[in-house]
Amino acid sequence: MQTNTNSSKVSLSFTGTGGEYFRIWIVNLLLTIVTLGIYSAWAKVRRNHYFYSSTQLAGASFEYHGNPIAILKGRIVAFVFVTLYHFAFKFSTGFGFLMLIALSAVMPWLLWKSLQFKLYNSSFRGVRFGFRGTAKQAYINYLMWPFFALISLYTLVPLVHQRIKQFQHNESRFGTTHFSFDAKISRFYLNYLIGFSIFIAGIIVICLAFSAPIAAVIAAKQAGQFAPHLIVGLIGLVFSLYFWLFAIVPLFLSLIQNLIWNHTKLGNRQMYSHMKWGRVTFIYLTNLLAIVCTLGLFIPFAQIRMMRYRLESISIEIGDGLDQFVADEAAQVSATGEGMADLLDFDLSL
Amino acid sequence: MMPVAANYFDGRTSRAHHVYLEVVGQIAQLTGDVQLECPLDQLRVSERTSNKVRKVTFSDGAYLEVSDPEMLAALANLLSATGHSDSLIVRMQQSWRATLIAVVSTVVLISLLYVYALPAAAKIVAFALPEKVERALGDGALTFLDEHFFSPTKLSVERQNELSTRFARLRPVEDDSPAYRLLFRKSKIGPNALALPSGEIILTDELVNLSHNDDAIMGVLAHELGHLHERHLSRRVIQSSAVAAVAVALFGDVSTAVASLPPLLLDLKYSRDAEREADAYALAMMEKNGISSSALADLFADLEKNHSASNPYLSSHPSSAERIMFLRKGDQDGSRLNKAAQ
Repeated sequence: MQTNTNSSKVSLSFTGTGGEYFRIWIVNLLLTIVTLGIYSAWAKVRRNHYFYSSTQLAGASFEYHGNPIAILKGRIVAFVFVTLYHFAFKFSTGFGFLMLIALSAVMPWLLWKSLQFKLYNSSFRGVRFGFRGTAKQAYINYLMWPFFALISLYTLVPLVHQRIKQFQHNESRFGTTHFSFDAKISRFYLNYLIGFSIFIAGIIVICLAFSAPIAAVIAAKQAGQFAPHLIVGLIGLVFSLYFWLFAIVPLFLSLIQNLIWNHTKLGNRQMYSHMKWGRVTFIYLTNLLAIVCTLGLFIPFAQIRMMRYRLESISIEIGDGLDQFVADEAAQVSATGEGMADLLDFDLSL
Repeated sequence: MMPVAANYFDGRTSRAHHVYLEVVGQIAQLTGDVQLECPLDQLRVSERTSNKVRKVTFSDGAYLEVSDPEMLAALANLLSATGHSDSLIVRMQQSWRATLIAVVSTVVLISLLYVYALPAAAKIVAFALPEKVERALGDGALTFLDEHFFSPTKLSVERQNELSTRFARLRPVEDDSPAYRLLFRKSKIGPNALALPSGEIILTDELVNLSHNDDAIMGVLAHELGHLHERHLSRRVIQSSAVAAVAVALFGDVSTAVASLPPLLLDLKYSRDAEREADAYALAMMEKNGISSSALADLFADLEKNHSASNPYLSSHPSSAERIMFLRKGDQDGSRLNKAAQ
């Protein structure tokens, strides 16, 4: 164990394997279908149990304590909401907007509950995590700010993202020790700008690279000739643009995850994330390809690959060891929000 | 039996206590940093996985964590000696043979649900819903179509009346023929006819002009009436929603683009099935009214000339060849029946 008094960084390690998770996943899937979805709550507990206990820090693993009955109740509520919302617009636009407003009104509350549930049901070394954020804060961060982002024509999205992450990380705790988050709004704008610039630059490069065949196609068309060999160039262009669209997702993922965790502290222990764009992109694209080629059977392997890389990119300064955290007594929270967050997965980062 | 070395966490602080676990009779004994005894039936052992960690939890939430490979083997021996056994689900999850059976069963089950169970369930639900619900479904669809795809008809009022009167006089296949409203429109998207959930049947000028024989138009209208009669719109909405929900549950984490592709492809089969049912309804209605279905078959053949043939698995309608064959066969069967009756 770490005994030196100097601050020392320790990375998370992940021992889950694709083969083992595949077996858990397929049995979960089969039982979920057979029970018409009811087993999905137990499936979630088994899956999280596997993920958490496969995640280790300095020789000890995490633990998931979610109660399947609580998750099932949450899922039923979430299912009713989503079903109503889904069919509402099919009946009439008016009814649809009514459901949209109703859903916006309850969503922050559900997200807040699901955060509480998720953190309260996670533990490390026998000490539970927790969340102290209030419902009022949840409404400000999950409803008011996103609404402003909408009317600002999305120019406030980086700000909203910062607010939400600040809310989540500042209000989380491990035992009685609080997390804190100090990434400035300007840093979010900077990272969005970097991501967006690379995205646009890529599109320009692709268009330039294919400019010759495109010009030739246009010229041939104006001359009244059909040029089949030049069509290949056009297909190449479309394919490259499409590829670029997929490749840019992991860029944002790594920029944002790094930004968030490099500005998060647990008590006075700094956390770090050093995801590499190239590596994430490689994992993401090969995962996507393999999932499509195996008609979905690769999904569990893909999840494990991505999760291992994302978790193992994160480290924390453990300083004088991990023995001093003290547990806090917290009330059991309802799982209603949890099921909702699961059906509509919002979270960009961990 | 050798004692199992483990880390003990008391649930109050994150301190790791080094302990040894032994079982004497039905009592678990801890020695080392912490000394305590606990009856075995109050302990909970985490499910077996091969991920190198196992936990034994006490009733107060304190637990032992075993992560050393040698100690894990010792714990496994201890567990089997005390009669602990894995649940059926854990045994399935740990066996590749059971996994293979699960893969095959899952694929078979999903296929059966897709081909039989979902259409049957959607049919039951759609017919259980009052007709009003379906009529409310497409509120505003006609306005949308009028804005984007249609302009007012150029057919004379006499011609419109001629067609609608003739169709209204036809005897329906069953007594409970659905209420409908026949509308004429000029189309910006070529010859077509469609039924809206609100009960409107739209017939385009282009289709009227394309057909050489009014029998064919009666067939087309009967086909659209069939869609209404069979509640195809409600059934399609239910089916596609269910398929989309399953796809999101399965692939939603992976990518929204990937999750939206299978529903599109899978929904096409349901669309083709609905067209076949409407064709069958049209054929039955024409037979009942002594109209030859060959005129409708000719119309399909004419429509076919406007479009190139496409792959039947990527198409929302059955191939024209299939539909024409179905109608011509129906026509022969019909005339044979008529002859037999005579």
